[in-house]
Amino acid sequence: MKGIIFVKFNEFIEELWGDEFWDELLEEAQLPSEGAYTTVVTYDDQELFILIGLVADKQNISVKDTQFAFGKWVFKELYNIAPTRAHNIQDVFEFLYAVQDFIHVEVHKLNPYALIPKFQFLSRTNDKLSFQYLSPRKLCFFCEGMVYGLAEHLGQKIRVFQSECEYEGGQCCVLKVEKV
Amino acid sequence: MKKPIEPILTEIQSARELQKRIAVLERGAVREKKARHLAEKQLERYTLEIYQTNQSLKRALAFSTKKQFELEYLGKTSMGVASELSLHEMISNMVELTCEYCAAEYGFYFVTEDGVEVQKVENNVWSKELGWQSQCKLQNLVNANLPLSEAHVLESWFVSAVNDEAQDFAWVLYMNFALSGNKLGWLAFLSKKVSVDEGIFPILATARDGLNSGIRRRLTDVNILERNVQLQDSVNNLESAKRQLIQSEKMASLGQLAAGVAHEINNPVAFVRSNMEVFKDYLHNYKNLHYNIKSELTTHKTLDMKSFTALCEKADLAYIDEDSTALLTSNIEGLNRVRDIVENLKNFSHVGNTKLIQMSLYKCVDAALRITRNVFKYEHQVDNRLTDLCPAVLGDLGQLQQVFVNLFINAAYAMQGGGELSIWHTEGDQRVIIHVKDTGSGMDEETIGKLFIPFFTTKPVGVGTGLGLSVSYVILETHDVQVTVDSEIGLGTTFNLSFPVSI
Repeated sequence: MKGIIFVKFNEFIEELWGDEFWDELLEEAQLPSEGAYTTVVTYDDQELFILIGLVADKQNISVKDTQFAFGKWVFKELYNIAPTRAHNIQDVFEFLYAVQDFIHVEVHKLNPYALIPKFQFLSRTNDKLSFQYLSPRKLCFFCEGMVYGLAEHLGQKIRVFQSECEYEGGQCCVLKVEKV
Repeated sequence: MKKPIEPILTEIQSARELQKRIAVLERGAVREKKARHLAEKQLERYTLEIYQTNQSLKRALAFSTKKQFELEYLGKTSMGVASELSLHEMISNMVELTCEYCAAEYGFYFVTEDGVEVQKVENNVWSKELGWQSQCKLQNLVNANLPLSEAHVLESWFVSAVNDEAQDFAWVLYMNFALSGNKLGWLAFLSKKVSVDEGIFPILATARDGLNSGIRRRLTDVNILERNVQLQDSVNNLESAKRQLIQSEKMASLGQLAAGVAHEINNPVAFVRSNMEVFKDYLHNYKNLHYNIKSELTTHKTLDMKSFTALCEKADLAYIDEDSTALLTSNIEGLNRVRDIVENLKNFSHVGNTKLIQMSLYKCVDAALRITRNVFKYEHQVDNRLTDLCPAVLGDLGQLQQVFVNLFINAAYAMQGGGELSIWHTEGDQRVIIHVKDTGSGMDEETIGKLFIPFFTTKPVGVGTGLGLSVSYVILETHDVQVTVDSEIGLGTTFNLSFPVSI
């Protein structure tokens, strides 16, 4: 996983619980990287999952909620470094299509080996959108949080839930987004 | 004095917290340092990768540029070879392109025969700055460094070092190729560059192959052109021979008819002459009458009606008057017959130019019958059913007359001892068919099969040339006439000539 995610996770944790908590996590996790994160290096995915698991344990919240919270928080950070064209989009659904159509395409150009999730759109009405989240990393709750962060940024109220989830015995993860 | 315990505990607590804080910050600093180190290493790797990629791109660009240059050279030389440029233009084009490609200062094209330069052409040296020009000194320099005495085609391009201190030329690149005869064409390129890039040789070899194929094609084209001219001459000679043959055969037919024609002319001439003898007597009578009238007037100074009538009766003037008119009419008719025969003969023997004009088949057949009248005169009947209603065709009157004369002579020959010649026409599908039927001996299949073969004849030696029908067939072919023959032994033969109708 690209270092930017780890750097942002560090910022997220320090913003919420301080640098000592972050230090505590790293001391306990004993990760191969020793927590020396920089945006230009790629790290083992597993390190993020270990850190999320430790946060959940120590803060007494679920892994799902931790992923969700980080996703919601990190959206604005990633939005700032997204292609300028994405900044002109004012609708959640349009933005989600743009993620698939050109934002991930641009990411792929800069990082040819990056493992990028795919959205397979299933249905769309004026106020409902359904798509399948496809990624071997299985960060579907993180994705849910990102969608919330997106809606918050655009000033739209939405509800996001999964009609099917691999963590709950489903074949895949299907996200449903409803404007409210 | 003992200190109170709480402040001490608080102090210890603060110290511990401070130490803890320091430890957290120290670890953070270590992580930051390590992260920075990682980032720097990564940056170095990226920089190296970018440098290597840049170098690789530069090499690829240089390679592409070289390939593009090579392709451009090969493309232009191929276009020259495939174009309609003349041999000289194509080779000149090759000199210009190759001179630029191998970055030589001068390019040369010249021709040798048995090791000696021939065709001293003006302006046979090319340079990019000056174009084509004459450079005797440079030409001599090149000649001195090329194996011109070897009168064979070299198998590839060669390079010779040039020892030229005056102008600093370093090497000459050259090749040769076969031209017509024992001639060799030479291309040479003089350069001041220190060394030759060996990479150009495969490209030059390809261009050389193309040039050789272009030269072969052009030399072959020249040969084909020469042969075409010869062929056209042969065709013209053949056409001329054909015309002569037709005319000769016409004259041969005329020879066969000569006796009959002479007879035809002789008859009217004989009776015209006989009539003229009578006129001579009549003139004598008139002279006597004139004399008697003059004597009577001299003696009596007068001539009465009775005496005049008596003199006229004595001269038989009434009969002479009546007979003279008849004799003159007969003479005019006789002379008209001679004139017609001569006219027909003139038409018949006229050398045609095979220009087809609209003509009447009726008149053509009628003229042919007049010429051949004598052969049918005594033992045969001629039933010519053609009239002016027979459609006109495009044809040469003299030549078609020759065809009918041949058919009529053959018919008469087949009807020795008598018979009937019938001529009529039928029409259909924009064609008019002339049928010529005799009641002669007829022909078997074998004879019919050989009818139009030159020199085939059933007539005894000295009677026919054997060319009559074959020449007729050639004439009919040029008139787009289809010929069929129906014949039965002992019953006779019918020739059917199908002409396209002139619209």
